[in-house]
Amino acid sequence: MNAVELENVTKTFGSVTAVDDLSLAVPEGCIYGFIGPNGSGKTTTLRMIMNIFYPDRGVIRVLGSDAVGSRIDHIGYLPEERGLYKNMKVRDVLKFYGELKSGRRVDDEVDRWLGRFDLTDWANKKVETLSKGMSQKAQFIATVVTRPPLVILDEPFTGLDPVNTDILREAVLELRENGATVIFSTHDMSVAERMCDFIFMIFKGRKVLDGTLSSIQDAYGHDTLRVRIEDGRESLDNLAGVENVRDFGRTQELRMTSDCDPQKTLAEIMSRTRVRSFEIAKPSLHDIFVRIAGPEAEERQDEHA
Amino acid sequence: MRRVLRIARREYKVAVRTKGFVIALVVAPLLMGGSTIAIILTKNRVDTRDKTLAVVDHSGVVANALVEAAERRNAESIFDEETGKKIRPAYHVEIVEPNTTDPRTQRLELSNRVRRGELHAFLEIGPEVLHPGEDQDACRIAYHSKNPVMDDMRGWLGWPVNTQLRKRRVAEAGVDESTVDDTLIWLNIQGLGLVSFDEGTGEVQDARRSNEGEAVGVPAIMSMLMFMMLMMGAMPLLHAVMEEKNHRIAEMILSTVKPFDFMLGKIIGGVGVSLTASAVYVIGGIIVIRYMDLGEYIPYHVLPWFFVYMLAAIVMMGAILAALGSACNDPKDAQSLTLPGMVPVMIPVFLLFPVIKHFSQRIQFSAPAFGLNVLPKSFRLSLPDCLRRRNVG
Repeated sequence: MNAVELENVTKTFGSVTAVDDLSLAVPEGCIYGFIGPNGSGKTTTLRMIMNIFYPDRGVIRVLGSDAVGSRIDHIGYLPEERGLYKNMKVRDVLKFYGELKSGRRVDDEVDRWLGRFDLTDWANKKVETLSKGMSQKAQFIATVVTRPPLVILDEPFTGLDPVNTDILREAVLELRENGATVIFSTHDMSVAERMCDFIFMIFKGRKVLDGTLSSIQDAYGHDTLRVRIEDGRESLDNLAGVENVRDFGRTQELRMTSDCDPQKTLAEIMSRTRVRSFEIAKPSLHDIFVRIAGPEAEERQDEHA
Repeated sequence: MRRVLRIARREYKVAVRTKGFVIALVVAPLLMGGSTIAIILTKNRVDTRDKTLAVVDHSGVVANALVEAAERRNAESIFDEETGKKIRPAYHVEIVEPNTTDPRTQRLELSNRVRRGELHAFLEIGPEVLHPGEDQDACRIAYHSKNPVMDDMRGWLGWPVNTQLRKRRVAEAGVDESTVDDTLIWLNIQGLGLVSFDEGTGEVQDARRSNEGEAVGVPAIMSMLMFMMLMMGAMPLLHAVMEEKNHRIAEMILSTVKPFDFMLGKIIGGVGVSLTASAVYVIGGIIVIRYMDLGEYIPYHVLPWFFVYMLAAIVMMGAILAALGSACNDPKDAQSLTLPGMVPVMIPVFLLFPVIKHFSQRIQFSAPAFGLNVLPKSFRLSLPDCLRRRNVG
């Protein structure tokens, strides 16, 4: 069974089509990643699932029901911009959201989560005194304190330091282990690669990727050479059969054309410099993202136009 | 409903626990009643310096009477009977011969004397005041001073001038003044309510004497109280909804409740705030009024209706203002919409005295949208008869 299903959903704001004929299915019990450039329609899609926006067309089915707002009790939602009452104390605001959602007292759960996120000392302080990272963690607690079966997180890792990112990531993984379905949007491709069972990419309101990481990478084939060389990036200029070179400092990724022989390319590189490592790889999610939404893709689209 | 009440409870607690609420609770009535307090404080602080009035009497029949009247007043009315302290200014009348050839120059000279402070004012009495004809200028009595509208002396002059003119007319008619002295006595009409039948005692109850303070003051106070409660309970909703929308708090709430429930919770919270504040004011007011032995003027039978109408007004206004708040994107928008949002609150205030003075169905139905807090102003006038008493006769 799917936790969330969208069928031919369209949403416009004036003359702008934010989401265009979008269909997707989020299986239960998975972590489903939404990626896409800014303004591509990620948040609008999540808000439609949350019943904050109504779609102009199409059907949205949440936890088996397509009645508007009928399963809202069963969804935990963390908005992109944080929505906590700044003048309330941390514990009070978390209890408020928890009780509002569940209709029962959630004191114990709140205290447990505060302890887990190292916020116990801040429980009786006002939200406005929290740092951005603390505020983010408090917002996450408000989202999951009632243990909803479906959790929607809009860019949950933004603004967190590595330690807090790890804490939050573990919490998200634990939610899935406990049977919850987690949908989150992110700009961090490495997070999406490492955490998501399924990845969905939206670009200019339309779905451009949807599937597991390996199925997406398979669609692009083994067209990437990842190398470490002694000399700098300049020694990789003007290689035959190489479309693009991305320099990560210590390593470089070369995207090959479909008729390129990797062995010949390796030989040519070795003729120019010493090669320390060489790997024929699938493209990274980052690379796929850039291919779809980067400046080169824009230029190609303009040329086609 | 559980969620609505949870939102309402949060709204209420957040509002009443602030210093702002406590301060508003104390300051608002002080501001509203400030003018009354100022009047009370300044009531006895009058200018007691003597004032001189120049009288140019073209008729020749009034000036001397004014001199006598002023002397009588100075002897009888300007000193406190108990303390002997001077509490009002003495009036002195200076008779000035009329300049019939150049009256405009004479008026200018007298005006300059007023400007220099030698005179308080001058009075010019037309030649035909005894028997006014069609010539308006000839029968005019003109009072000139720096501030002729708000002037106690001008108010005092009306009686002695007209009394003198009436006496002269009676004398000219050949009637002995002493035989018709009571023709000049003016009787006031006493305002009374209606006679009623008391079912408890089985007796006819005499009509109660009413006064302006009771007829105007009670509904005015209750209306102002309702206005204050609207300002405390409903007006904050505009900014609160705007802020919650901008800070994405609304998104969090709407991920749990329907928009209607969200708004309803906020409005109920506002109603709670107003009820708390009004209860403090009403109970406090009753205690103070009873302490002053004025308990008979407290309209207990109207109080339940006051609360009913106040709740209805706050729900209506709260809904309008919350809707306006949801349309705002930033504080500037909210500021711009505050005035139009207040119009439905202000209109009943503008209608207050017309409703009290000319209470009729027509006024009520002419402003149905604002009737919720116009109507209570009429309760003082209508409810005692329609709810408590059975008319007799």
